[in-house]
Amino acid sequence: MMALTASPSLFQPHCIALPRVALLTRGIEPATKSREGDVSTDLKHELTALLPRLRRFARSLTRSVPEADDLVQEACLRALTRADQWDRSQPLDRWMFRITRNLWISEIRKRTVRIGQGQVPAEDATELQTPVTGEHSVAASQLQAQIDALPEDLSSVLLAVSVEGYSYAEAAELFDVPLGTVMSRVHRARKALAARIAEPGGVTT
Amino acid sequence: MTQYEEKLSAFLDGELPEEEAREIEAALAADPALQAELEALMAADAMAQEAFAEMLDEPVPAALAAVVRDAPEAAPANVSAPPAGRSWLAAAAVVLALGIGGAGGYMTGLSQGTPVASAPGWLVDIADYHRVYAAQERHLVEVGADEADHIRTWLTASVGADVPTPDLSAHGLTFEGARLLVAAGKPVAQLMYRDGDRRVVALCLIQTDSPRDGFASQTIGAFDMVSWGGDGANFVIVGDTGRDDLQDIAETAAEA
Repeated sequence: MMALTASPSLFQPHCIALPRVALLTRGIEPATKSREGDVSTDLKHELTALLPRLRRFARSLTRSVPEADDLVQEACLRALTRADQWDRSQPLDRWMFRITRNLWISEIRKRTVRIGQGQVPAEDATELQTPVTGEHSVAASQLQAQIDALPEDLSSVLLAVSVEGYSYAEAAELFDVPLGTVMSRVHRARKALAARIAEPGGVTT
Repeated sequence: MTQYEEKLSAFLDGELPEEEAREIEAALAADPALQAELEALMAADAMAQEAFAEMLDEPVPAALAAVVRDAPEAAPANVSAPPAGRSWLAAAAVVLALGIGGAGGYMTGLSQGTPVASAPGWLVDIADYHRVYAAQERHLVEVGADEADHIRTWLTASVGADVPTPDLSAHGLTFEGARLLVAAGKPVAQLMYRDGDRRVVALCLIQTDSPRDGFASQTIGAFDMVSWGGDGANFVIVGDTGRDDLQDIAETAAEA
């Protein structure tokens, strides 16, 4: 786990019942209303509204709900300490995805060093160090389990392109990889899922 | 098949240059195996979309929300007026303003600006949605036909182009209601109709500054489509393959 300021209650089951969003709509009303109206407060409100999508993006990286929540927490705190760098003319989600992705890469590098594989590239380390099927897997459905079972470099790119509307060029920038790599990862991700569907007794859509 | 197979996802995503997209289209028409491969990828993508959509419905842990709420605040340097609660629609508006995505072919990115295939982009998304929703007997629509006035107001405001609810009863179609979708990164209005055999025909509409000229027919997956450009929007009629009345339906809808 990351060394965060996570309170012990972070993963207890009491939850805010946020409004249920319709399939494929992309936002949620802020859970709290503005009390003061300064920049940090605005940013907090927008981050709060963005939490479901941030958690989903983090989950595509970590493939573990608890780790995703740690990562989102750290990313939000990072953003709030840099509220002065918040460019309102740009979509907040893109900024936050970038912060989240960079934090995850640093985390992977730290883990790699800790276990004495300091020379392993971060991308390789990701596959080595994060669960593939997930001992932490608490996937709420068979469908989600299929996504969690994809390697991180596939699921996160698929999410960005297929769901979050990134062009290949934008995804290449977000993930710091060549455009051709984005193309191949998106394709491999869909191929892997298609193979699952094709399996006897495989998932149905 | 192999040389094209690797490019099918890029084709689906509207990321191929026009010429390559045309080549793939020709190859698809000539090669049932390649077509099957494309359909498998579309099914996989629909599954991923559904799974990722489910994840959004999961409740955010209260403690996580509290950490954000109670975090120490940094001194602000930016005092411009805040947007009024950024919703996904606002995000879509930003996307529109930046000219990313859209019906007439997305761009490969702001930095490059190279136009790429106009094809299937949003139509492929529409086919995916149609496959998912047309099978929803009881939950076909978000808002029912009995609220047609609300549908027009709501979707016109959401999509950014005038959304009609044309009367297609001359084709035996009953208006059932509507959904709001996101295709190629933009909001799309989806109006659902059913015929006497309870087969679903959808009329979809996406805002664009450069509507297409004339009518075009194509087949994506198990669906036939007839698309055309109207006032500030591109339209498409989607139905099961083998229907021979989609062109007529499209023409009626286009006159509405």
